[in-house]
Amino acid sequence: MSLSIAIIVGILMGTVFGFALEKSRVFEPGIIVGQMQLRNFIMLKVFLTAVATGAVVLAALNGFGIVKLQPKAALYAADIIGGLILGVGIALAGACPGTTLAQIGAGYRDALFTLAGGLVGAVAFSYAQPWFNSTLLANGDGKIIFSDLIGIPYWTGALGLAAVLIVVIALLERWRPWRDEMGHDVDGDMGAVASNRTSPVRMAPAE
Amino acid sequence: MPTLTDRAWSPYVAGILIGLLQIPAFMIIETALGASSSYVTVGGLIASWMDPSILHIDYVAKHIAATAKNWWQVAFVGSIAIGALLSMRLSGAKRQAISPIWERALGSASPAKRYAVAFVAGFLMLFGARIADGCTSGHGLSGMAQLAVGSTVAVAAMFTGGIAAALLLLRRI
Repeated sequence: MSLSIAIIVGILMGTVFGFALEKSRVFEPGIIVGQMQLRNFIMLKVFLTAVATGAVVLAALNGFGIVKLQPKAALYAADIIGGLILGVGIALAGACPGTTLAQIGAGYRDALFTLAGGLVGAVAFSYAQPWFNSTLLANGDGKIIFSDLIGIPYWTGALGLAAVLIVVIALLERWRPWRDEMGHDVDGDMGAVASNRTSPVRMAPAE
Repeated sequence: MPTLTDRAWSPYVAGILIGLLQIPAFMIIETALGASSSYVTVGGLIASWMDPSILHIDYVAKHIAATAKNWWQVAFVGSIAIGALLSMRLSGAKRQAISPIWERALGSASPAKRYAVAFVAGFLMLFGARIADGCTSGHGLSGMAQLAVGSTVAVAAMFTGGIAAALLLLRRI
């Protein structure tokens, strides 16, 4: 694969990804913060649908021997500690590493600061990586996947996951229809709740 | 039927489209969808202009090497901005410089405060994502679809950290 073809493919795929993120509204800070405050479930709907679709696609591609899987190694301490820190960042950014770029494209100026902070964070980690490599990242369980643990072929497990997710998504949609979660400006901003600014028993922000 | 000029698509249509992107990722680039490695590629390259010794760190050298996977992901992540801009233009949506939810979430209308929080948040996001070796895309979309055990643990941790921070550090939006 030549570098220039890879870059062209990346540009095309990224444009489609950005388009889908914008149309689904999942890149909006109101949707992401709303999800983390358990008030809005658009993010989970998009996410689980994409996982289910990916599972079906990979069940076929891998089941017919067309592609190899590329799972990451399981390093539980790193997965948990890193995941927790990442999650805090996602809530405070109202974005994740990919949707930050969608926010920039849509014209959110604060996302430029998220991007800058992200680049500095990645560099800071890089300097610390040799230390992490000998501690948190030292011993893992390897690239284990659930279907191997159970002893079934990957494609069976992947289709099983997709089936479960479709049921979860259907229940989620019945509980919270997506059209009701968009807000009038389709940004997940449902407006201030009456008790929102005046309630005396609300927790003070810690920032 | 969804059209290119819609203000919003159903999350299910968009989610299916995103999931289908695994096909070109696996078949053409032989990788899974991911986003956070590209921050090391770009950040490491910029840092190397100021501190060339960073290239002696294997991790950085590996990420900025001129390989298809490294630079595919930089192009992929960077172009997300193009796709979002295009979609926005087609739907005619207008956005303020800062989402109106932040005034409520932070209890302050100060842009400077929002920018500072965003910078710190971006730092935490990528520092955490690199410890975990993946983000919402690599561990979330791709890892879970591949039934990866470590990725499932990482995604559970992301939502735990995100929910805790959104409930404890932010005000109700």
